[in-house]
Amino acid sequence: MHNDAVDPITLEVLRNRLEAIAQEMQDALVRSAYSNIIKEGHDCSAALFDSGGEVIAQATALPAQLGVLPTAVKRMVAIFEGKLSDGDVLAVNDPYDGGTHLPDICLIAPIVKDGAVAAYAACIAHHQDIGGKTPGSLPTDSTDIFQEGLRIPPIKLYDKGARNETAFAFIARNVRLPKITAGDLGAQLASLHVGRTRLASLLDEHGAQSFRAYMVELLDRAERVTRQFIAMIKPGEYSFEDYLDDDGIDRQTLVRIRATVSVKGSDLNIDFTGSSPQLNGPLNADRAALMSAVFFAVKSVTDPMGPTNGGSFRPIKLILPEASVVNPKAPAPVNARTHTMKRIVDTLLGAMVQAMPGRVPAAPCGSVRVAIFSGLDDSGEPYMCSDFSTGGTGGQPQRDGVDSLETDIANTMNMPAESLELNYPIRVVSYRLWEDSAGAGRQRGGFGVEREIEILRGQVTMTLREDRHRTQPWGLYGGRPAPLAIAEIKRGAGGYEKIPSKGVYRLTAGDRVRCRVSGGAGYGDPLERDSVNVREDVIDRKVSVEAARESYGVILRPDLAIDIAATDVQRAKLGEARGKISWTFDRGELGVQ
Amino acid sequence: MIEIGVDIGGTFTDVVLMRDNRIAHYTKVPSTPSNLIEGVRNGVTRALAAVDLKPSDVDRFVYGSTVAINALIQQKGAVTGLLTTEGFEDVLEIGRHKRSHLYNLFLEPETPVFLAPRRRRFAIPERLAADGSVLAPLDEKAVRTAVEALSGQGATAIAVCYLFSFRNPLHEQRTRDIVREMRPDIHVSISSEVDPAFREYERTVMTSLDAYLQGAVGDYVARQRDDLAQIGIEAKLQVMQSRGGITSPEAVMTRPVSLLLSGLAAGVIGSKHVAVESGQHNVISLDMGGTSCDIALIRDGAPIVTNQTRVARFPLRMQMVDVNTIGAGGGSIAWVDTAGSLRVGPQSAGAEPGPACYRRGGTDATVTDASLVLGYLNPGTFAGGISLDLDAAKAAIKRVADRIGLDLITTAAGIHRIVNARMNDEVRRVSVQRGFDPRQFTLLPLGGAGPIHGCALAQDLNIARVLIPDTPGVLSAFGLLVANIEHDQMATLARRADHVDLAGLQEAFRRLERRGQAKMAADGVAPGDVEIRRQADMRYVGQSYELTIDMDKKTGDPIAAAVASFHSRHDTMYGHSNTAGSVEFVNLRTIHVHRPDERENPPMKSASAAAAKPVAHRESYFDGGFVKTPVYDRKQLSVGQEIEGPAIVEQADTTLIINPKQRARLHEDRSILVDIPHA
Repeated sequence: MHNDAVDPITLEVLRNRLEAIAQEMQDALVRSAYSNIIKEGHDCSAALFDSGGEVIAQATALPAQLGVLPTAVKRMVAIFEGKLSDGDVLAVNDPYDGGTHLPDICLIAPIVKDGAVAAYAACIAHHQDIGGKTPGSLPTDSTDIFQEGLRIPPIKLYDKGARNETAFAFIARNVRLPKITAGDLGAQLASLHVGRTRLASLLDEHGAQSFRAYMVELLDRAERVTRQFIAMIKPGEYSFEDYLDDDGIDRQTLVRIRATVSVKGSDLNIDFTGSSPQLNGPLNADRAALMSAVFFAVKSVTDPMGPTNGGSFRPIKLILPEASVVNPKAPAPVNARTHTMKRIVDTLLGAMVQAMPGRVPAAPCGSVRVAIFSGLDDSGEPYMCSDFSTGGTGGQPQRDGVDSLETDIANTMNMPAESLELNYPIRVVSYRLWEDSAGAGRQRGGFGVEREIEILRGQVTMTLREDRHRTQPWGLYGGRPAPLAIAEIKRGAGGYEKIPSKGVYRLTAGDRVRCRVSGGAGYGDPLERDSVNVREDVIDRKVSVEAARESYGVILRPDLAIDIAATDVQRAKLGEARGKISWTFDRGELGVQ
Repeated sequence: MIEIGVDIGGTFTDVVLMRDNRIAHYTKVPSTPSNLIEGVRNGVTRALAAVDLKPSDVDRFVYGSTVAINALIQQKGAVTGLLTTEGFEDVLEIGRHKRSHLYNLFLEPETPVFLAPRRRRFAIPERLAADGSVLAPLDEKAVRTAVEALSGQGATAIAVCYLFSFRNPLHEQRTRDIVREMRPDIHVSISSEVDPAFREYERTVMTSLDAYLQGAVGDYVARQRDDLAQIGIEAKLQVMQSRGGITSPEAVMTRPVSLLLSGLAAGVIGSKHVAVESGQHNVISLDMGGTSCDIALIRDGAPIVTNQTRVARFPLRMQMVDVNTIGAGGGSIAWVDTAGSLRVGPQSAGAEPGPACYRRGGTDATVTDASLVLGYLNPGTFAGGISLDLDAAKAAIKRVADRIGLDLITTAAGIHRIVNARMNDEVRRVSVQRGFDPRQFTLLPLGGAGPIHGCALAQDLNIARVLIPDTPGVLSAFGLLVANIEHDQMATLARRADHVDLAGLQEAFRRLERRGQAKMAADGVAPGDVEIRRQADMRYVGQSYELTIDMDKKTGDPIAAAVASFHSRHDTMYGHSNTAGSVEFVNLRTIHVHRPDERENPPMKSASAAAAKPVAHRESYFDGGFVKTPVYDRKQLSVGQEIEGPAIVEQADTTLIINPKQRARLHEDRSILVDIPHA
């Protein structure tokens, strides 16, 4: 076979090989990491890129980070093109220069073949601390990026295999846990080591020119498929808006994400005009984060199970209002943009469902609870640990949502209570499903969770970041929204006091924090839900007898048998009071539309 | 001495009968899924009749079974209850909250909730601290109430998983005592025995699964025992466990989860044995059947045993032979995706309806259809007498070819390349991820389809040698008879290497050894016949995942030696080590091993016979075109005979494809060794 020919068999072989390499990189990173956010939370991602910076393969990791890496790699290509050698490792974290929020450090290794870069291996990891005003570097009230930590511009961390000691020294001097940071950077280098070795042998096998031809074809194919799917969507303009609780500083004002999606032929134009102006607090979505959220939403409604690469992005055009929440200007703060990304996805899916009913589930819980605890351990050494939990997914056309499962751009793992307690002076008091937390529906949402943590010793700084305390995940076609999330602090012998979704708190030994992340919203009329399924949920103590009666109209006797006659009466009564379902979305307190 | 090994698979039950350390007979009979015992009885009766023996002549009987994995996959286990520390009753359902499909909006649960749905999960007030000290005592009344409620729900098994029980098992043990006292008929699995290691979700899954399987496994083991007794077999029975060692059926009944990979493990042990006999100590076994391909590594003459893998999507943390399964087999279906790319598998046509060429109603193009079109298979005889329909195969592949705009032959060759590439990637992943270079291994293909693909795979993988055993079809049953009796014990140490005192370490190992020795005694093995191995799971302080280090060296400081081998292993795995960093011992483990008697390989009967001639020639596809290829009958080959590829060797249970420039040679032990030239 000639090197310049592309045959579909080799293409498939190559694609599989590249995905296997990306996965191997991911595994090496997790297994050799030091911080609990990576080794337990898996807050890291690996991917491969072609010489132009287009993604060609991804590990099964976090869409948020996978979607960020292309921006970083492209920026590096622009800066370093022609100046790269084997053994180089590039680093960046600055959201205004190719990175995303500062804790996520991107490391990128060029693979050079025949004197030119043929591909890049890249990985991104959320570091436990990168300096700035609060331990864990996720201040919920930062007003500029300088408060958020150390900005690493695009640099060479290794130059032809030689370690850039200056850069390492700078990083070590500016973070709170330099040993952990060094260990996790080592894990990222291990990941690149794996990627570089495997890619090099793949390139030896195929030759750089042939490899290039195949990558062009791979990307073109993904574009063709994405266009095919877009062309099947009913043409038109579809608008939707959704909200974040606040910007971390002004607790009164909801942050608005608004998008109008225009489907025209095989093109998709997305206009964010109408979104909130740039925020004073850290919920602004930097460019990489925004691209990542858009990519997720488009991929999920076009070809979710197909190969993932940069070609799928080509049919998309964006309009981003200047100095807005989706297009901030330096030095606006951005560290808490994870929830903004989730809300961008909610907004885009809310717009798309109008064009493609039945192809989008009801809204998921819309929040990943991130708590960072920081203090001194028994030996007086500073410690810091992250703790994640998430709620339910939305009801689907064919089945209920799933209890506590990561959705959209997030895909971390929770921290085992035993891992936390073995290593840090905190105790997990409980971690359980939250009853009645799922939006009712013919297919109900999945359930949310409650997690309570007690501080065992000393003074602790806790950063807490959640959302959906003020607006509810929306139900579809009569499905009900899920309840608001709730966070509370109990100090000493006092009672539980509600706190806002974002904040930095001082806690002392004996204090507890209890967070409930809601479930997903419901899909379809709850009065049409099979009463047997309602009863099953009651037997499992996921739905209360009262909720069965009030939300589903199902009346259960004390022995939990269904009272069929009373159920018919109750359902008729509830149906009459509600009236015909003439709306698509149900946002609860914010009304229907 | 008469010994019988029976491997009970999903499709076939294989029986190997050995007399005085030599294979006297082997046979394959269809499995009887509704009642597996019937198939065993048929096979055993047939084998005994063939060599004119009575059931009472049998001295030893070993079997491997898929009963546990089937119960898991089909969700047909016991009605199981789960008792947890109060506040953690939903850990089994919440899991680690990560999903496996990134962009699919239509998500499905990722956790095995079916093991114990919420109505059968009960919160027990009790709490231990991370060091095992008691923060809140066990609420025995709550245990009793829960057991009563579970009895009312018809539970026949209860799993108990309390936080930090691996530090202090007293609460779990007391709970078990209470259940036994109340309901001696309910099986109890406690996490401090099933999987004493940190991470509560993973431990809860293991413990719940153990309880869940109790009914299926216990019932099956007992019925098997009774049925064999009924046909007059009085021999001692033994069963294969997931880690590749055998034990008594009674031991398996107390730890059903250890039977999970029973069938797969037997195949790996059989492969190991023939590999070592042929002088190959580093081998990758690749068992390619109709629907899947199982890949395992044998290193330094021993299968690799792992602590962490996934079965049916769920994390399983136990000692098991490291077998990795992908959906690539003879029945894997070729299809065209939305991007117009050709894909192969993981969907399979299975045995029913099977590939198009079987003429049993299948119309999808499969790998076997491609093999037929490419001239690798003999349409007349395949897998013991089925005849294959070449026209049906061509028609099926043509349909795929038309969709991607390629011709028939290129498409058939493409199907082979893609399925080979998938296996190739898996072999690479399995070896490289464990820090091994596949080029330093010999490939051992088995299963009906393995030898068709093996030599081509080796070429792609830069592997120099391929070994095809004499009887690849019944290697699992054979593996049962050559397996060791094994027991492993584990305890958590969780201490930095520089804080571990040698005396304490030795005492901890001795405690484990006493437990292992007791189990060996229960299996009837004298202490003098036991070899004991020691291992430690180690990591850098601050890491969460361990590497397993052997601690068998009798000389020098064992702690320093373990630390040194840890650094070097970390370097192999991850490309760097941190010799200045602190290392910690996480778990200690002992493995008690009793080896069976040496097996003899009978000399070939006609060592001096002339080299066999081809029995036919066939047009087969190699390197982009069809060539007239000699076909040999394996039974006619003589020891030392060399065959240069392209060539085909046929035998009753498989077909060996030797590619151009590859050289095959029949070894004294009847195995075929193929040399793969590389530039």
